[in-house]
Amino acid sequence: MSDMVHLTIDGRKVEVPIGTTIFDAARMHDIPIPTLCHQQNEGPVAVCRLCVVDVGARVYAASCIRQCDQNMQVKTNTAEIQAARSSLVELLVADHPSPCVRQQHSGDCELETFAQLYGVSESRFTKRAAPRGQDESSLSILVDHSACILCDRCIRACGEVRHNNVIARQGKGYAAAISFDMDSPMGSSSCVSCGECMVSCPTGALTNKKVVGQHLQEDEGLSLDVKELLQLPVFKGVSGTFLELNRGAIVKRNYKKGDIIFREGDYGSTAFYILEGTVDIYLASPQGHVDTEGTGNGFFSKLRNKLKGRADHQREEENLIKKFISIDANIDLEYDNPVAKLGPGELFGEMTCMSFYPRSATVRAETDCVMLEMLRNVLDVMQKNKTFRAQLELNYRQRALETHLRSVPIFSTLTSNFIEHLREEVELIRYAPGDVIFEQGDKADAFYLVRIGFVKVTEHYPGGELVLAYLSKGSYFGEIGLLGGGGVRTATCSALDHTEVVKISAHDFNEMMATFPDIADRLKAVSDDRIRENKNRFKQVSTVPVDQFLQQGLMEAQSLLVLDLEKCTRCDQCVKGCADSHDGVTRLIRDGLRFDHYLVATSCRQCRDPLCMVGCPVGAIRRKNSLEVIIEDWCIGCGVCANNCPYGNINLQEFAVKESGEVFAQAGDAQARLKKARVIRKATSCNLCHDHPEPSCVYSCPHDAAHRVTPTDFFADMVDQKHLKAID
Amino acid sequence: MRIDHTHKRWAIVTAILFLVSLAVYVPYSLESAHGPSGGSAIGIAFGVVGYGLMIFATLLSLRKRFTTWRIGRAQTWMRGHLWLGLLSYPIILFHAGFSLGGSLTTILMILLSLVIASGIFGAVLQHYLPNLITERVAMETIYDQIDRVRAQLVEEADRLRLAFSPTLEGLLAPAMSNERRIAALTLKLVNSQTRSHLTEVYSDQIRPYLSARSARGSNLRSERESKLLFEQMRTVSPEMLHEIFNDLENICQEKRDLDRQSKYHRWLHSWLLGHVPLAAAVMVLGLIHAVVALRY
Repeated sequence: MSDMVHLTIDGRKVEVPIGTTIFDAARMHDIPIPTLCHQQNEGPVAVCRLCVVDVGARVYAASCIRQCDQNMQVKTNTAEIQAARSSLVELLVADHPSPCVRQQHSGDCELETFAQLYGVSESRFTKRAAPRGQDESSLSILVDHSACILCDRCIRACGEVRHNNVIARQGKGYAAAISFDMDSPMGSSSCVSCGECMVSCPTGALTNKKVVGQHLQEDEGLSLDVKELLQLPVFKGVSGTFLELNRGAIVKRNYKKGDIIFREGDYGSTAFYILEGTVDIYLASPQGHVDTEGTGNGFFSKLRNKLKGRADHQREEENLIKKFISIDANIDLEYDNPVAKLGPGELFGEMTCMSFYPRSATVRAETDCVMLEMLRNVLDVMQKNKTFRAQLELNYRQRALETHLRSVPIFSTLTSNFIEHLREEVELIRYAPGDVIFEQGDKADAFYLVRIGFVKVTEHYPGGELVLAYLSKGSYFGEIGLLGGGGVRTATCSALDHTEVVKISAHDFNEMMATFPDIADRLKAVSDDRIRENKNRFKQVSTVPVDQFLQQGLMEAQSLLVLDLEKCTRCDQCVKGCADSHDGVTRLIRDGLRFDHYLVATSCRQCRDPLCMVGCPVGAIRRKNSLEVIIEDWCIGCGVCANNCPYGNINLQEFAVKESGEVFAQAGDAQARLKKARVIRKATSCNLCHDHPEPSCVYSCPHDAAHRVTPTDFFADMVDQKHLKAID
Repeated sequence: MRIDHTHKRWAIVTAILFLVSLAVYVPYSLESAHGPSGGSAIGIAFGVVGYGLMIFATLLSLRKRFTTWRIGRAQTWMRGHLWLGLLSYPIILFHAGFSLGGSLTTILMILLSLVIASGIFGAVLQHYLPNLITERVAMETIYDQIDRVRAQLVEEADRLRLAFSPTLEGLLAPAMSNERRIAALTLKLVNSQTRSHLTEVYSDQIRPYLSARSARGSNLRSERESKLLFEQMRTVSPEMLHEIFNDLENICQEKRDLDRQSKYHRWLHSWLLGHVPLAAAVMVLGLIHAVVALRY
């Protein structure tokens, strides 16, 4: 028996191997048959039916799936077939947002091209009442469900071509749509951003998401072509077309020994991946508390400090442990010697790239270096690459996990053996902005450390949601549910931006508690404190007549500096006291909102929702276990907190700081080393004079007019007094 | 400092101390053969205590200078200053046996009386004026910023003036809204007499008032006169300009507030110009008196 079949297509006699589809047979003989759902590198599914042909049977056959028979007579282009195709196109176009994103950008939406071909300018069929929506969660691919024609090309590209099996169909009939994993947003799914689905999509349903307005200047770096990129292990498995579309979003740069790649506090939008060479990463801003007085050990210094009632600037947490400073790289800097090295295969600048935070440290080439500099869409692709991801995680486990754990005061005494055990057991999980990590009331099943980004902690109250804290890199959460919360979550934690957390399972956590009773005791104490604070807060929130001061935003405050204008003689002793406490620079302005006969002075309110804490690239602004917001001495003066404060209560002050030179000599930053002393900027805000028993503004007021108050108690008292007066 | 119920304890303690002193003074005064004298043992004791109280009261100014020294809250020092400073007066009278003595002691007693009187005057002012400022100065600002705010008001008024006295430059100024440009041009085209009248009022009355620190003699210092003037300006001008006059009127109101604040602020603090030097003189002369009396 012959291995070939003979058939006629549009009057032409053709011969093809047995098993060949009509579509392939026609294509082999240059006879065009239109299709939307079929691609040569994917198995046929015959869902669009645009490739229908007349084989003399009762109904038209889908040529992409129908195999050729011996002596078959095929007609591909009769008027009836054209009419059928036209109707199909019209049906598809009915729901299509025309022009779709793809048609707008490149003019090559296949559906709209067919629509023009068949003269379908407008569909006679009714559109959907509500559009099917967009999914913008992925950094590199935009999903527009409204433009999807359910051709399944993306599904086969993801499964058959790339073997990732992330995309599938969900729903039936009118509700059918493509979905990622179990109907997750694309950005939160297991999608590796290889781009194959987007390359396969015939319409604007899956399109490349360009980082708007940002294109790395190729003339400054070495432009990379797709072939070169595909040779790099980190881009293994990524679609070449997809990389081509992102050309310009990644460049190769060469740095000579000693070159500064960027400085702390700089704004940027790129991350760096080291291909060759090593870099020093360090803090060039000299550490030093903004209060530079009161540190002397001489007799007069001691006497002065005694008179001023000034304690040492050491904070209790700093005494407990060797402290580490979190930076935007897979390593923490030692507090005493903030310099580290990064080598080939290391990534740095992730947070700046993903969330546009200022650079957290200065990076200098220690040797001649070759690096890839990339924008967030390319970084996203890299981070989703399984090999690269595994390498990143390995680096983190090996280099940063230990310092990360040890920088949490209560874990400072963990043994190396246990940390070794944790290295293997912990999970690193990424969250997109807004993703909920766990909800209040959920079962507590893990403990978390923040590795990248910010986590927002909120509690539900009768009147709404209250923000308890923003946790930055190096912070931890989830212990209350495991220790004192009865096994359930007492607050909701969600990712504020692109966040990565280290998840320690309840089992490992409990083992840690059993093995290290001192840690368990300390953690329990912290947890009890937090529970107590939360209960107090709940009482305040639910009993105070809040409408009195909600309008002025005072409810958001935890501590207000109020001046009783009936007592205040405007002598400015409060301002002088503040300035005297802080090197001559006042942190309060005797002006602000008036509430009845009280003036709410412009001074840090220690807000319940401390927006100032969001975005600090080095985690220098934080809240102590008590209520005050403090700015640590490694503040790099980038000004993010000052910009974030809605009340203008954080200022950047210039300080002349004497440098020891050690840090800079070690890091080799020539510019920094040359200077013996220099002026730096650091953020300042009222710290409630935490080293004094009472804030200086209040202490210096001779007229009993200045008071630091908890707004809820204060205004509740005031309302009560008015009520009593009214009764009298 | 407002004298309210929180002073009760200080008042009671002061009263008790006064009564104790009185209890010592009365028998001493009755039993002394030559009448009470500053040179007697009890008289010297009264003198030492009285001068000690005065020293304590004087130290308040030092306490204010070193605001952060943890040597007691400033308000405690202030209360002590008020009550113990007041107590020093009868104690010194007991010391002197209610006689003026020689010329130095006479001067001292007069000065001390003035210090006490000015102190009481200041205390009364500080009791009432803060409330008055709060009630009467709606747009209070930081005292040191008043001149700056005044200058800003003048600038703002000059910008508004362009609407009824337009120059080409003014009309093209980016700060000027289209509505105001139209209003200005309308006025310019329609009625030159009105325009010149308004310009005159601005340059003769409003601007001098706004730019002067005290503006004595200006009718705009009176709220009623100001209201009448702007009412008249609104009457003679097209409605499109009324909003501008409302703004100018508000600026004048703000200027009045600032002037009032300045005035109250001066009252609140200028008495110290008498009180402090007098107190210093008392302390110096008191020391001289003590040395002279004890030595010779």
